Amino acid sequence: MKSVIKGKVTIIRNKKDYYDIKGKTILVAKNTHPDLVIVIGKIKAIVTEIDNKLCHAAIIAREFKIPLLMGVKNATKRFKTNDKVIIDIENKSISKIK
Amino acid sequence: MKNLLKYTYLLNVKEIEKSIQRLWKRYQKILNSKKSSWESLNEARSILYFLGYLYPEKIALESLKKRIQCIEPSINLDKFLSAIDGNNTKILDKYKKNKKFNVLKDFYLIIKRIKNRVKNNSYLDEERFNKIYFRTKPKDYF
Repeated sequence: MKSVIKGKVTIIRNKKDYYDIKGKTILVAKNTHPDLVIVIGKIKAIVTEIDNKLCHAAIIAREFKIPLLMGVKNATKRFKTNDKVIIDIENKSISKIK
Repeated sequence: MKNLLKYTYLLNVKEIEKSIQRLWKRYQKILNSKKSSWESLNEARSILYFLGYLYPEKIALESLKKRIQCIEPSINLDKFLSAIDGNNTKILDKYKKNKKFNVLKDFYLIIKRIKNRVKNNSYLDEERFNKIYFRTKPKDYF
């Protein structure tokens, strides 16, 4: 599994937002919802505000072998949909790129 | 909820599953009844919070963290969860006949079923719960 991932962000605030995902994206949410499975093929990585090994996002990430970064405070406020970011899973970091 | 906690302490997976089902049925009964009172809707709210968050993400996680240390040969929680979720046959075969590992695996699979439970297109039927709850909410509620 890749440790460093670059891509555009999609902010998820409610489950309807999953259906607006078009291309490959890095999903950013407080936590995820089971509807995530519908668009799982489009997800390059998942970033969540909550940090829990048994939360939905953690389970889905393990099942589908998707890179996951948890515990990013205010992630849904710090980033906007279509922001370009770089994630380093090993170092637990995410930052905007131009 | 008391029974669920008791059987979690005992790690009796059959009774854990039964206790969860009983809570789920009670929750559904409250939501399905047109005569549900504000009090019973708050019982449903407590079940939703308990089954949807407190039990899997706090209680069950603590239980797994504690018990994973009793498995020999040793395995950490991340590897255990990844092996099951990712169907890692190498690790699963290694512990195939390990009773403690398999009980813990069955316990985790129960937790996963809660976390993946969707009814009426929402996690644990919470959209329907929210509609009924806010429709019934007293005006002077604080």
